[in-house]
Amino acid sequence: MADAIVLPQARPAQPALQFLRVIPGVLLLAAVGYAGKLLERNVGTYAKAHHWTFPNIEYVLWAILIGLAISNTVGVPQIFRSGVATYEFWLKAGIVLLGSRFLLGDVLKLGGVSLALVAMEIAVAIAFMTLLGRAFGLRPKLTSLLAVGSAVCGVSAIIATQGAIEADDEDSSFAIAAILALGALSLFTFPLIGHALHLSDHAYGLWAGLAVDNTAEATAAGALYSDAAGKLAVLAKTTRNAMIGFVVLAYAIYWASRGEAKTVGNKAAFLWQKFPKFVLGFLLISILATYHFFTKEQTTALANLSRWAFLLTFAGVGLRTNFREMRKQGLRPFAVGAIGEVVIAVFTLALVAGAGKLFGF
Amino acid sequence: MSINKVSLSSRKSWNLSLDSWAVVAALLAALLIRAGVFTRVPW
Repeated sequence: MADAIVLPQARPAQPALQFLRVIPGVLLLAAVGYAGKLLERNVGTYAKAHHWTFPNIEYVLWAILIGLAISNTVGVPQIFRSGVATYEFWLKAGIVLLGSRFLLGDVLKLGGVSLALVAMEIAVAIAFMTLLGRAFGLRPKLTSLLAVGSAVCGVSAIIATQGAIEADDEDSSFAIAAILALGALSLFTFPLIGHALHLSDHAYGLWAGLAVDNTAEATAAGALYSDAAGKLAVLAKTTRNAMIGFVVLAYAIYWASRGEAKTVGNKAAFLWQKFPKFVLGFLLISILATYHFFTKEQTTALANLSRWAFLLTFAGVGLRTNFREMRKQGLRPFAVGAIGEVVIAVFTLALVAGAGKLFGF
Repeated sequence: MSINKVSLSSRKSWNLSLDSWAVVAALLAALLIRAGVFTRVPW
């Protein structure tokens, strides 16, 4: 007789309780973001009134800096943590709403250019990171996670790949820490390099979207340069995100062929499961805006709502970045990530320069 | 010989991913603005 063992199911938390649990953290995101907005307005005015030479620092950087200061000094208390983690939700909602600022023709044209550049970036990034991981003697699955993280879209891609290739939690946290630390560095280095090279908004936005790994950091790196660059960075990054399913599927098939991961059954279902749904939301809003579903005032309202969502995201980027925690993860994955990122950044800059000459931006 | 079988409840989960919730929230906000519930969003 077969003995059936019924495993106890974890009782899901009540939706109302879950909702209440995120409120303190969301309020903290809003407070940090709004403080950044106030500082942008008031510091500039104060410096001008006192005849000081002070660079105009955007709310994006203020929000990130305040978040970093809290996270790396007093830390984020437990009560705020679930709410702070919602920054990904605000990021994705913000990207969907940003679709209202793109006409479908622009999306297809710029998305087409981005897609060609993204394909080249992914191929080079995966090949280079794999070689680098081997040269540094990293575990093969950690190398795969770092390659996916730097080629496609940072943390989401690493988490999606971890499940598909059955990598250890330890490998996954090494790769996530390296990608997050490098993302934080890119917030400060990319705008400086962009200004030093006198890149146009268009070229810089494409570059940030292609080279910065995590979607939140790519959006922030773009917005730190200019509003127009921020828009382009989001478009290029969204195109990159759309490739996540294909890359994770390729890795899953590779590790399954070596007998170290489960075989993928229904490939179409696998692709749909991994496909970032906010890309579809972004396209839908863009189509609606193109066919005048919204009036001019409504489009402005949608764009402003998207800015508020991004404001919470930028606060979250600072609040979840803890350098002490990242340092604990070890130097080798970080070194591989850093060398790889520099090479990918130089390569994508050359790609963007080439595309700029070809398409005149 | 007895065979131990692990049977899990195969109840379909209708929980949406965070990604999908973000899309739903953004589309709902867009519809509310389109319907004139919110006429302007200041920045």
